[in-house]
Amino acid sequence: MNSQTKSQFIAVASITSELSAVMVVAKEISLAAANAKAIAFRAGDKAKGFQPITDFINELAKETIELVTNINVYALLLYRLTVNEYRRTAAYNRFEQVAKLANGAHYANSMQEPITHAKTMMQDCQRQFKRDVTQLLGQLEAVMHHARAARVIAANSRIEASQAGEYLQSLQAVAESVDKAAHTIHDNVQRCRIALSIYRNS
Amino acid sequence: MKMTKIYEGAHQWVMFGRDENKPDNIIDSNQYIVRTANKCLLLEPGGTELFAPMMAAVLHHAPVDQITDLFASHQDPDVISSLGLWDQALSNAKLHAPALWEGYIRNFGCESIEYVPIPDNGETIKIESVELQIIPAHYLHSPCNFHVYDPQAKILMCGSVGSAFEPANAPVFVERFDVHVEKMRAYHQRMMPSNQAKRAWIDRVRNLDIDILAPQHGRMFKGDDVKRFLDWFDSLQVGTGV
Ligand SMILES: [Fe+2]
Repeated sequence: MNSQTKSQFIAVASITSELSAVMVVAKEISLAAANAKAIAFRAGDKAKGFQPITDFINELAKETIELVTNINVYALLLYRLTVNEYRRTAAYNRFEQVAKLANGAHYANSMQEPITHAKTMMQDCQRQFKRDVTQLLGQLEAVMHHARAARVIAANSRIEASQAGEYLQSLQAVAESVDKAAHTIHDNVQRCRIALSIYRNS
Repeated sequence: MKMTKIYEGAHQWVMFGRDENKPDNIIDSNQYIVRTANKCLLLEPGGTELFAPMMAAVLHHAPVDQITDLFASHQDPDVISSLGLWDQALSNAKLHAPALWEGYIRNFGCESIEYVPIPDNGETIKIESVELQIIPAHYLHSPCNFHVYDPQAKILMCGSVGSAFEPANAPVFVERFDVHVEKMRAYHQRMMPSNQAKRAWIDRVRNLDIDILAPQHGRMFKGDDVKRFLDWFDSLQVGTGV
């Protein structure tokens, strides 16, 4: 296996692992939202501004989970494509070797067709991979968007929490955990994008 | 890759082996082809490492589009791990291999090649006008294992049975049976697990008219050495590796 293929395998595998971490964190946000909702309910008027925010947080977490689920399906396709490309490339290289070794053989020329075919298949895989990576990068961008939105909401939550009297601390803790989670998602997704960006359609 | 024509009639048998360029840590194996006017059957196509020299050697005898049939006696990598490469080179081919091993052998890659499962009690396959008998050789050494008998050429391709391991410059036929025995003994005792299976195979094979015994490793047996081999194998206790 050459280093190009090796790093392609690693890039694709790393998406899956980064995304499973994102999934865990998104579920944490969803939990934090449920928690916040309960607190805000108990706080009544004191946390009036906080109530719609909890719905926002919950919505955002749900959408993130959905997006990541889709991306995971895509990442699996990308993995299969990588395996396929590896197989195609290996075959093409062996066929070239056959042509060299068969030099002078009576039917040596009959190898031309499989070689041409193998080359086309290999190049198709490479093109498809680039196309799919470009698509995946777009989807990752959407997750980043959500993470950024979550951070803005977290900042708003902090302001609202400051007016919640004795509930201040628990609501601040909610805002804190949303902010932390959004940060983690942002970082993980950013790592995915960097790992993939060298393969995108230029 | 050394090529030796072992039968020349209306069709031909060619043995390939003793590849001088193979990596040292890969065992040497024999491949065979049965060539008819417009078709070519590859017996025990070999491992991935052997694919390029093997295919290049076949191109001396047949064009790619006439390589229509492959046969694997059992599921081992030295027999058939090249399948994934043949699969991408051949556009119209069949693989005749044990039904029991289909799910295993497909791991090597079998998308465009048609897997034709061989039932437990064997069958007859036709390559143009040549009829080949697929003879059961279960537990010798694989639990589901077949040999190929050509009644016209009087050749039995006997897979792992009769195998020995030799340097790349060794002759392709046994010359002194008594010397050759020592190169086979340990392998047969260890690799063949069942005296009962051996008995059934010998009974079956003694009924065949055989000029050449063609194993997957080492030298072939011809003439009187065929009977000598059967007698020797008959008296050998196998399955002694425990
Ligand atoms: Fe074997």
